[in-house]
Amino acid sequence: MGGDYAPQEVMKGAIAAAHQGNVDIILVGQEDAITEGLRADASAEKLVRRVHASEVIIEGESPAVAIRKKKDSSIVVGMKLVRQGEADAFISAGSSGAVAASAATYLGMVEGMERPTLGGGFSSFAPNIVMMDLGANVDCKPHQMVSFAIAGTVYARTLYGIANPTVALLSTGAEQGKGNELVKEAYPLLQQSGLNFIGNIEGNEILLSKANVILCDGFVGNVLLKFYESIGTRGRAWFMGKAPICKGLVGFLFDRFLPLKKLSYEGEEQGSGILWGVDGVVRIAHGNCKAEHVVHGINAARKAVETNIVGSLKNEIALLKEQGKI
Amino acid sequence: MTVEEEVKQIVSRIVHVEESTITREGTFKEMKADSLDIVQALVAVEEKYDIEIPDEEAQKFTNFGDFVDFVVAETAKKG
Repeated sequence: MGGDYAPQEVMKGAIAAAHQGNVDIILVGQEDAITEGLRADASAEKLVRRVHASEVIIEGESPAVAIRKKKDSSIVVGMKLVRQGEADAFISAGSSGAVAASAATYLGMVEGMERPTLGGGFSSFAPNIVMMDLGANVDCKPHQMVSFAIAGTVYARTLYGIANPTVALLSTGAEQGKGNELVKEAYPLLQQSGLNFIGNIEGNEILLSKANVILCDGFVGNVLLKFYESIGTRGRAWFMGKAPICKGLVGFLFDRFLPLKKLSYEGEEQGSGILWGVDGVVRIAHGNCKAEHVVHGINAARKAVETNIVGSLKNEIALLKEQGKI
Repeated sequence: MTVEEEVKQIVSRIVHVEESTITREGTFKEMKADSLDIVQALVAVEEKYDIEIPDEEAQKFTNFGDFVDFVVAETAKKG
């Protein structure tokens, strides 16, 4: 159980999800912390199963090294529960890199996917877009962008219900040939992929929903996501500062009619996202997620299991391979 | 299949390189493997042979041959 507010908020959310009655929760973490957390809710004891994990992967540790050195950490122990079929899905607010590395290592990758990728939307302003990658891979190779595009296509189909999602590369210009080496080399690969690739789009076109699937490397995606998330809180504070006398009213009006501070937590993502490409359902939550986000993440993981998103990804890749497109 | 061939198969699958291009003298760097590739390969081999490859040993591997030799020695110890 990782995260900025762990274990309290993570446990609170997990117990609340267990109370809803449609999931079985396994809490993986240090026994003492779990016992302490369960003390607050006597009825929760019977609702959850505990699995002790003695080690903790600390934010900032090298993910690749940590998952081998700390095999008794919740991120490794929990992933193995999924591999062994004891759990259907894994969700963590711990080190994103370690979760991604652990998932790739212990669950394995879906054939055709080389690296796990994080996708997510900007649902407040652009409800039908998904960006890939949002931080799982800071350095990417051109062919990996194609696999991210496939994952994004399945995402848009499965979770947004878009039959033939459009795919675009995020770049510094619309024309082919604009952008860095990664974008220039990925462009022709995407053209040949058989996906609904429409070319490059620029940053000012993201929220215009010019494409359903927008591709960038994890470095760009993560910077963009965090900037976007900061706009809500900063925007509200800015407006309240402009009218300090009636800031209570301004705050009320904003929260009621323009909930900017909730930007990042609306829609499907709501504090966590699916790790695509690994052979199992894994959700990575924001480090600063609170109990309600954990509840949402658990329910979204349940939906991902029920809708068989991993199977859908495998089918999409198999189809493109059969057609000789990848 | 020998241990070397099996290890080669594992590395090939994880690093996405042709088995025929993996030589005893070749390095992970030459295969363009990143840190995650290496960890995946180490864990896959550990699990296949039920052995442990300590980090301090892994850091000594200068090429694929060193890696294989370590695995062969460890599996021999297990009988």
